Amino acid sequence: MSKMFKLSVTPHIRDNTDVQKIMYSVILALLPAAAGAVYFFGLRALWLIVLSIISCAATEALIGKMLGKPLTIFDGSAVITGILLAFNLPVGVPWWIPVVGSIFGIAVGKMTFGGLGYNPVNPAILGRIFLLISWPIQMTTWHKPNGFTGLDAETVATPLAVLKQNSRIILNRDSSTIEAFNSATSKIAELSDSYMDLFIGNVSGCIGETSVLLLLIGASFLMYKHYIGWRIPFSFVATVGIFTWIFGGYEGYFTGPWLFHIISGGLIIGAFFMATDMVTSPITFRGRIIFGIGCGIITSVIRLWGGYPEGVSFSILLMNITVPIIDRYTRPRVFGKVGK
Amino acid sequence: MKIVSEFTKGLYRENPVFRLALGLCPTLAVTSSVENGVGMGVAATLVLVCSNFIISLVRNLVPKKIRIPIFIVIIATFVTIIEMLMQAYYPSLHKSLGIFVPLIVVNCIILGRAEAFASRNNVLYSIIDGIGMGVGFTLSLVLISSVREILGNGSFYGIFILPTAYKPVLMMVMAPGAFLTLGYLLAFFNWIDKSGNN
Amino acid sequence: MDLGHYFALIIGVIFINNFVLSQFLGLCPYIGVSKKLDSAIGMGFAVTFVMTLASAISWVVYTFLLNPETNVFGGIDLTYLRTIGFIIVIASLVQFVEMVIQKTSPVLYNSLGIFLPLITTNCAVLGVAIMNIDKNSNFIDSIIRGFGAGIGFTLVLVLMAGLREKLEMCNVPKPLRGVPLAFIMASLMSMAFMGFGGLVLK
Repeated sequence: MSKMFKLSVTPHIRDNTDVQKIMYSVILALLPAAAGAVYFFGLRALWLIVLSIISCAATEALIGKMLGKPLTIFDGSAVITGILLAFNLPVGVPWWIPVVGSIFGIAVGKMTFGGLGYNPVNPAILGRIFLLISWPIQMTTWHKPNGFTGLDAETVATPLAVLKQNSRIILNRDSSTIEAFNSATSKIAELSDSYMDLFIGNVSGCIGETSVLLLLIGASFLMYKHYIGWRIPFSFVATVGIFTWIFGGYEGYFTGPWLFHIISGGLIIGAFFMATDMVTSPITFRGRIIFGIGCGIITSVIRLWGGYPEGVSFSILLMNITVPIIDRYTRPRVFGKVGK
Repeated sequence: MKIVSEFTKGLYRENPVFRLALGLCPTLAVTSSVENGVGMGVAATLVLVCSNFIISLVRNLVPKKIRIPIFIVIIATFVTIIEMLMQAYYPSLHKSLGIFVPLIVVNCIILGRAEAFASRNNVLYSIIDGIGMGVGFTLSLVLISSVREILGNGSFYGIFILPTAYKPVLMMVMAPGAFLTLGYLLAFFNWIDKSGNN
Repeated sequence: MDLGHYFALIIGVIFINNFVLSQFLGLCPYIGVSKKLDSAIGMGFAVTFVMTLASAISWVVYTFLLNPETNVFGGIDLTYLRTIGFIIVIASLVQFVEMVIQKTSPVLYNSLGIFLPLITTNCAVLGVAIMNIDKNSNFIDSIIRGFGAGIGFTLVLVLMAGLREKLEMCNVPKPLRGVPLAFIMASLMSMAFMGFGGLVLK
């Protein structure tokens, strides 16, 4: 952000209209992806987004009132949290999932610490992980993108999950049958036909994360306006690409499907819209690169070797926690050496 | 009645968990179910009462410089006895509580009361202090584990009390839920205290 | 010397089964010493040192004195003395470390204050010693587990100190200030570390 050259400790003292302008621009930037969510997953997606926004705003307003604070929901941040949380949900979740997740994210992640500017972690990420841990079945049940036809009875696995399961079978070839091995290799080959679908968003996954194209349209708008910087998204995405290229293939090092990893799952939405949250990311430029690289490494490690098929949310939450330490140790030298 | 107030102080005013912030490790680890919470509470209370009794008995014989190691050995002896009894008569509880049974030795409540009270007061009061603190500790465990078990499993002491339509919040019976419950309960007691003083 | 095995052991005890965030060990100092970053770092190193040494010595004590299969008393089962024996080892070790630090670095000694002797009651130290025995670890594995657990404890302590220092200037509602907020932050950290669940490094 070209505006942020004062190196002070967060929370930054910022003019109220500035915050509002930035927030509403972010909402605007998320509209293409929201439209995509409805186009690919139907009206239920819209319903989830609306429920989420209302729950976030209501929670913030209610708790703010109980604590005797002025009304803050019109600064737009609660709406953004609502949209981002909804974007991280599979379309088939019951109605109470976005509601409970929003309440948790706002109440615990934001209001407990004093409101906007004081939250140590991204509330949407916190809500998402809370939901994932507490209701793993509902949060990992995906459907095909059927548009307005409505939800299929059958559920499918996301492309990332397909890659992970089948890579495991191939890597453990000694303990798999020949049929399992062959079916795994062909399933992975199928994935390479789906690059266009992955880019546009015509795949199963969470409603707002699937369309790389629509997300990038919004992100470029924000970058043009200098509301998000290039350092975090670039270092995050590049690290995932390099790491998965080196370690992610089953035919040896440097054979990994790095492009597939970049356009699948929640990487684009995470790197451009959630890791870049100015309150929960480092202030210094060097710090941001470290932040992005850290997110990238953790995401890749979880994707390749962890129990979950996707690691973007966990990596952002973990790196959010390290931000005070990163800021401390990347402070520029004022007079000579920086004391530790 | 001094005896009564020595007993009741451990229940609320000087509740070891919520007021004195002692004994935190087992508090979080064993409160995923009410049954475990009660089990640990009773075991710790037994150790506390016995060690308070002995330490108070010998308080004038123990040289001041090495009193802490001596207290620890006395406490460890009783923990070993309780451990063996539990293993023999309540093996499933012993298995659920796991490593936290021997860890009763380093439960700051027990050493804390030995140092702060039993080594300076007579046997009767020390026993009562032990019972009061132990009961207070047990009540805290029951409170936390009730919240965690009801929200996280829909049950209380193993009996399902919430309708099946309730999908339990699994996080509550896991580590993050433990920290969260304790944090908000501590805040709640702070809040009650402040309102009371106003 | 299977490096992969030791690597997996260390990663496991630091990230997958972190002593503080998933095993609930070491909470008193975690909440008590995490207010300032400098004391957190000092405490972390002291605890790591004690945990590593305690793992080694307690393993030796158990194997050669208590365990009926291997002890020098030829078959007498003294395993019930485990708790008492280990705590004596730890208390002596902490006493010894205290004396050494006092002689070599009075500055560090003063800054750690009362928390140095309190390492004796740190459940993480006794916990790791018992865990080594429960898991039938050999001598090297026990030392590595002790060291790794200490590093995991230090990591989490440092992260927590960073967060608490930053939140000093926050607008937190009054009842939540101080210890309650620390626990809520611990909850967030614990949620984050769950991401390492099921991690299997090939």
